[in-house]
Amino acid sequence: MSQTSEKTKHEVDPRLLEILVCPVTRGPLVYDREAQELVSRKARLAYPIRDGVPVMLPEEARELTDAETG
Amino acid sequence: MTERAQDTVPFGERDVPRGEKSSLVRGVFDRVADRYDAMNDVMSGGAHRVWKDIVVARANPQPGEMLYDIAGGTGDLALRWVRMAEKARGRRGGDPGRAVVVDINAAMLQAGLTRKDAGKVDWAQGDAEKLPFADRSAHCVMAGFGIRNMTDRPAALAEMRRVLKPGGRFLCLEMSRPTFDAFQRFYDLYSDHMIPAMGKLVAGDDAPYRYFVESIRRFPDQETFAGEIRQAGFRNVSYTNFAGGVAALHIGWAI
Repeated sequence: MSQTSEKTKHEVDPRLLEILVCPVTRGPLVYDREAQELVSRKARLAYPIRDGVPVMLPEEARELTDAETG
Repeated sequence: MTERAQDTVPFGERDVPRGEKSSLVRGVFDRVADRYDAMNDVMSGGAHRVWKDIVVARANPQPGEMLYDIAGGTGDLALRWVRMAEKARGRRGGDPGRAVVVDINAAMLQAGLTRKDAGKVDWAQGDAEKLPFADRSAHCVMAGFGIRNMTDRPAALAEMRRVLKPGGRFLCLEMSRPTFDAFQRFYDLYSDHMIPAMGKLVAGDDAPYRYFVESIRRFPDQETFAGEIRQAGFRNVSYTNFAGGVAALHIGWAI
């Protein structure tokens, strides 16, 4: 494996994060670097980023708790 | 909702409940992801590479333009797009072309990420019927050998129309109907017997390739599909047959 492909495996391109919206509400997403999640407050969903690939599927997303949305 | 859950959609030669198709399709691609590119070469005699070159040449990528490659699998079209945009940029400058590969199947994306130039495009897992992109955000949308696997084709076409900028183009490469009767009969024999046999040989499993053959047969012919694209709001819809209609490229404009 070349170095570039190793890198893309674990880091999301910040420019990709600028393009993506929530597939449910089409609203903005907040990047949680620590949790590796893209958070849609409006949909109350957190989309996981796995191996550097954002998983933009509602059925794979984590539902936000009241504490998180409050 | 409950009413829609009752109805069925084609999955190969079978009809399955609408809610089940996408996980069944995912299962097919999970099983073939690692060998998908090699298998395409065997099945089409390498022709799919030429067809993809033609598709991207027709799209004519310009510096700074954004492509969404929907159901893009291992990124064949997206990588060609950025490469060609780079050539145009070499001639007259501007920003690099960009592309995002979207596929519902994680295994296909992971196979794409092992390519040596994977870092030249972006990758996201997503559903063509609910794209994670803003309205009017891409100059070009492509779907290469993916649309026949989608559960709700009108919904997917409407989504691809939604994310295109005004004046943007949609290019859809898909297996289609051979236009000559004699050839159609040969092609049916080839599809029913040769392709699953080769699938077993190369990929070690014939079931996914039976699904491919059957899903191709269930897909509408060139004219009917052009009508569906028009129905989704595209204008100036046209198509070009490849190899006598074994595959067809449909083009529509967001105007």
